Amino acid sequence: MVIGEVVGRLWASRQAATLTGRKLLLVRPLGARGPGARLVVALDALDAGPGDRVIVARGSRVRDVTVGETAPDKDVVTGIVDQMETPEVGPGRGAVWSGR
Amino acid sequence: MILGRVVGQVWAARKDARLGGAKLLVVRPHGVYEPALATRHLVAVDDVDAGVGDDVIVALGRPARLAAGGHKGDDAFPVDAAILGVVDRVEIDAAASSSAGAAPGIKRPLPASISQVGA
Repeated sequence: MVIGEVVGRLWASRQAATLTGRKLLLVRPLGARGPGARLVVALDALDAGPGDRVIVARGSRVRDVTVGETAPDKDVVTGIVDQMETPEVGPGRGAVWSGR
Repeated sequence: MILGRVVGQVWAARKDARLGGAKLLVVRPHGVYEPALATRHLVAVDDVDAGVGDDVIVALGRPARLAAGGHKGDDAFPVDAAILGVVDRVEIDAAASSSAGAAPGIKRPLPASISQVGA
């Protein structure tokens, strides 16, 4: 999964039948900035909206068990982030690296 | 599987019901990992009680679903990454990881970023 920020919603007047009634969100993955950054169009399995930070899971099986097998997208919003902590870590944690 | 370092934890009250009380950690991959989205992090389910600062092995895709689903052989679990182990020690063979010593067909040396971690 990745964490991303919902930057908008999408609507399409002409669309595949399997998209009918599905809510599409435009999500910018955290850390993806600049001209090379890609936005992802994700199906909303919850009720997320613009401004929310969300967890986006990817894969056909993820799609099957959340929004259903007929949905034509493999990126699904499966969580809305309440809190995120990325504390500073001093030396001494992590594996011992050697041989380089 | 990929090797990464836990850099944080994330909490979500509103989430898919199957996720239940799963612990979600933010992992920054070490070295070779080319995510589909241009991001330098991933969120993984933690079953092995890893913590921030730990180096961990992360499984992606179906193996992650099987591991996180509670070892019931059930992959009906909406995740794509799971932490399978906390790594104690990593040894890198300097000769094998350089382009000169690489096996035939392997053109790319270990990226510099993997030499920086743990330093």
